[in-house]
Amino acid sequence: MIKIENLVKRYGDLLALDHLNLEIDEGEIFGLLGPNGSGKSTAIGCLLSLLKYDKGNIEIFGRKMTPDNYEVKRQIGVILQNVAVFDELTVYENIDYFCGLYVKERDKKKQYVQEAIAFVGLENYEKMRPKKLSGGLLRRLNIACGIAHKPRLIIMDEPTVAVDPQSRNKILEGIQELNKQGSTIIYTTHYMEEAEQICSRIAIMDHGRSIAIGTKEELKKMIKTGEAITIENIQLEQSQVSDIRAIRHVFQVEYKEDVLTVRCSEARHNLVRILNYMQEQEITFGQVSSQLPTLNDVFLEITGKQLRD
Amino acid sequence: MLHLLKYRFKSSLRNGSSMFWALLFPIILGTLFYFTIGKMDEADFSTIPVAVVVGEVSQEADNFQHFLQEIEESDSDIIQVQYMTEDVAAKALEEKEVKGIFYTEDQISLTVAAKGIEESILESLLNSYVDSAKMMTQIGQIHPEGMNAAISSMSNYQNLVQSVSLKGKTIDGNVQYFYALIAMACMYGCFLGFDAALGLQANLTPLAARRCITPTHKLKIIASDMFGIFIIHFVNVSILVLYLRFILGIGFDGEMGKMLLVSGIGSMIGVSLGILVGSAGRITENLKVGIMLGVSMTCSFLSGLMVGGMKDIVEKHAPLLNRVNPAALITDAFYCINVYDNPGRFYRDLGTLAVLGILMLAGAYLIVRKECYESV
Repeated sequence: MIKIENLVKRYGDLLALDHLNLEIDEGEIFGLLGPNGSGKSTAIGCLLSLLKYDKGNIEIFGRKMTPDNYEVKRQIGVILQNVAVFDELTVYENIDYFCGLYVKERDKKKQYVQEAIAFVGLENYEKMRPKKLSGGLLRRLNIACGIAHKPRLIIMDEPTVAVDPQSRNKILEGIQELNKQGSTIIYTTHYMEEAEQICSRIAIMDHGRSIAIGTKEELKKMIKTGEAITIENIQLEQSQVSDIRAIRHVFQVEYKEDVLTVRCSEARHNLVRILNYMQEQEITFGQVSSQLPTLNDVFLEITGKQLRD
Repeated sequence: MLHLLKYRFKSSLRNGSSMFWALLFPIILGTLFYFTIGKMDEADFSTIPVAVVVGEVSQEADNFQHFLQEIEESDSDIIQVQYMTEDVAAKALEEKEVKGIFYTEDQISLTVAAKGIEESILESLLNSYVDSAKMMTQIGQIHPEGMNAAISSMSNYQNLVQSVSLKGKTIDGNVQYFYALIAMACMYGCFLGFDAALGLQANLTPLAARRCITPTHKLKIIASDMFGIFIIHFVNVSILVLYLRFILGIGFDGEMGKMLLVSGIGSMIGVSLGILVGSAGRITENLKVGIMLGVSMTCSFLSGLMVGGMKDIVEKHAPLLNRVNPAALITDAFYCINVYDNPGRFYRDLGTLAVLGILMLAGAYLIVRKECYESV
């Protein structure tokens, strides 16, 4: 459905997209996950033909994407990172305005606008102007403006930035609902929890490149970490840290400010082996937790830095 | 297109700050001008009370009293003469009941208690009399037969200067301020154009970016925005012109249709200026507003908004500036309509304004027509 090949985009000397390759299938919720400045929004800008690019090819619905490819544009809905509505128009008028740029039939447009309002739960705010809406409601209006025309492809560029948890959950549920209704969704975010929660496939981006693509399970299998064990309030000598590093399946040990973090490859009884060592050495400790790898671990192992650095 | 126009009208008309500058501010300023200039007029033409203290009886004193009587009885209402004793006159001057005291003896003298327009007028009257008296003496010596005619013409002092306008249209010198005000109002269309520009270029605002990625041809969006704003601003300026003419009663005696035509082209220039500045480069919004305000106020100043004779000063020292300054061209066109009755000059102004408008409109279009950007 969408094919991005060898996309290169420079801002002067800065290489924003470095031979980016992506293929997105119909019906997916495809996540573009990466830290700020990794090239997610630039990729979206190029995809929408808002940005000129230096090299590469973009196809949407099997057709080359150009600024004047209005037939393709007609089937796309966009929710930008920043709220993009008219301050002087009411909630209803804003949605009607944008819907009217895609849908010409009057009755159909009216129906779509009402459905969009109901979908984002703004029925009680139809006559209010954007300035009177809270941040969460404003984000919902922003979404309604992008989806009212029932697009085949919806591109969402970090739609939950600066949104309270309640509104964020509502937005994420809405995205899944839109996907169920048949829309393909491209979702950019730097929140790994969101990507894990809703995306069927995820591309992890860094420095303008896609460094890993797959389902969340596939991504996690790409890395060595099978389990990350954290033990708090623990006093260790350097020799004991070395002993722990020597335990079977342990490949990384970090001891900082009385907190021990042990990364093990996927195996049974990793936690038991480490606790047994503590018992033998009569080491006291506080809370113990064991976590399966996250997308942050994936990012950490591939790039050597945290996703939110 | 109608859909775009409908919402352009709604959003522009509800934009309080832009509408204030484009509509309300010129109306408020016009009202202030009206009252300020009205007061100036009253001060200029109110009758000046003056005391006359008759001293020793002399021919000179008689002549001067006769002269004052002629002026007082004329239609000009320049002075109101009150005969008083010296003490009463001095007290009246002190209490500002009179503006000056003429002492009529062998030598005529004037005493005033302040320096101002009214005191200057009294002084001019006296000087005029003294000059004329000298002339009479000379006439009496050289051409005694013409003495009667000379005396008669001397008493017609008030008729020596008379305001007339060409082709029979009346002129009020203060109207020029209102012409310049309308020119300023036209230029203030830049505020509406500026707002529109922010919604047209994807690299300026998220709203513009969202509009650019819709399946609507960019030309359609630009055309509807420009046309919508032009109509709104043309109505704004027309309201101002009609308000000045029919509510405040400013003497726009020429053809109203022509005045509105000039206002229309002026509005187009103002709106285009706003789109041009609003779209230009990646400078801050505040700086852009500053540039627009600077350009429109400078043009208005040079067209005589703050200083009445400014356009003449510019004409004397830099005439080319008057040929390209849209505000000066607008005021000149108004002059042509209401005063000069000079069709050639009017159409030259109109043509230059149209060329300026088309150039600015084309410039604005060339900047905002882009659909694809280096960065957003």
